[in-house]
Amino acid sequence: MDAATPRSTTPSKTSDLAVSVTTSQTPIQPPVEKGTASVLYHRLRYSPTNSLKSVDFGLNGMHEEPLNDALRTDGGVDALSDDALSPEPLAPERLAENALGFATVVELLNHPALTRVYVYVCYWGPTTPPEVRDDLELSKSTAYEYIDRLVDLGLVTRDESTRPQRLTAEPIAIVDEHAPIVITPTVLHAFALQEIDEDVAYFLDRYGIGKLVAALRGAGLHFAGQTTQRMVADDIGVRDTEAMMIIYALVPVLAVGRDHDPYFEHLFPDVHDQLDLPDLDERDTTPSPPEDDT
Amino acid sequence: MSTDSPLVADQDVIVDANIFFAIGHPSNPQYLRFRRAVQRAGVVLKLPQRVIGELGGPDRDRVRQALEEGWAEIIETPDPTAGDAVAASDIARRTIADVTGQPEHEVEKTDAIIAGLAIQYVREQASTDVVVLTDDGPARNGVENAVRAQGYTDTITVYGRSDIIGDDSGDTMRLI
Repeated sequence: MDAATPRSTTPSKTSDLAVSVTTSQTPIQPPVEKGTASVLYHRLRYSPTNSLKSVDFGLNGMHEEPLNDALRTDGGVDALSDDALSPEPLAPERLAENALGFATVVELLNHPALTRVYVYVCYWGPTTPPEVRDDLELSKSTAYEYIDRLVDLGLVTRDESTRPQRLTAEPIAIVDEHAPIVITPTVLHAFALQEIDEDVAYFLDRYGIGKLVAALRGAGLHFAGQTTQRMVADDIGVRDTEAMMIIYALVPVLAVGRDHDPYFEHLFPDVHDQLDLPDLDERDTTPSPPEDDT
Repeated sequence: MSTDSPLVADQDVIVDANIFFAIGHPSNPQYLRFRRAVQRAGVVLKLPQRVIGELGGPDRDRVRQALEEGWAEIIETPDPTAGDAVAASDIARRTIADVTGQPEHEVEKTDAIIAGLAIQYVREQASTDVVVLTDDGPARNGVENAVRAQGYTDTITVYGRSDIIGDDSGDTMRLI
């Protein structure tokens, strides 16, 4: 699939693309003011041994080289300066190239239950529809509805040559240097957790996904010992106890993301190896980690 | 797992609000173990009004549940005025700034004041066995350092969640 993907004729290192994120979903707060923002969209085929230095970007010729060197610690990329928006990324054909990818992310961020299935397959795949159903406690029809939708979106690959079918999913990541906006599997996991965690649901309802990402960063920094929970509250503008509540609610997201999200370092370039979190290997977890994952 | 909680009767256990969130929802095994440890020790956790801040929504519900179950109570504590209590808060602030790599003015006042509240409490209540319970790592460092520097280590002990209920391996954590 990757080899057949058409490449941009004039690839630049970053910021090939500008799209409006304002209309992407309602939970983003505050809306992006300028109406356009540079969004970097790339995908890689995940394997635990894949180094970010050697990823194979596979979507519509967005990028031919790894981007982590250009990533800033705030999650943005070293690309457009604030006052010099190049028209090149705004060329209609460039926007059209990524239309599908952009639409999938919009779809995910509008449907947390769908996102939950995607993150599950992404993290614990290859997996099967019955495993999805059992581990996520979904009805058979609901599970297949979501899987079909994810396959249609191109987010999940279904191998129908086996019984049961084998499902796999590639991680996706968006980094926007203007907002800044960061979306990685870890972020999607946090977003999806609203389906089963009332504290996350409350936080999202009250503050939206933008602050959830901020809380996620804050939680990571806290568990790395670099901030107190009240300092996080102050930083992101929520009550002290709300910060405490969301920080603990996000522990599973951080603990799993550290093990399974190949973009985890993009969210925590500074502290990804310093987090004091429960060791999943020692726990009876739901779902169980795959046998070959250690 | 462990039932060897260091909490014993007659202790004055001052808790920071984070404890009520660190132990998870009331259905969580950690919550149940923690509550059992507190009740078995026969203590009632003292939550200073000063450290709660504004409450609302599910965060308020979580604290309220502990109060209603009777293993925690809110206490009014005067702000630290004794010299060594005030100094303790200053030491805590400097420690937190140091361990987090943040400037001192970025340290939240409430994080720093807990050390002072504990020492003030000891002085006013003539208590000989005070526990400060907080699950916030950097904030805990601040209290510990202040207690040590002000010579209260015989009177004030600082614990985190895991000191009370042990490591939580073996618990089920819902991952997704």
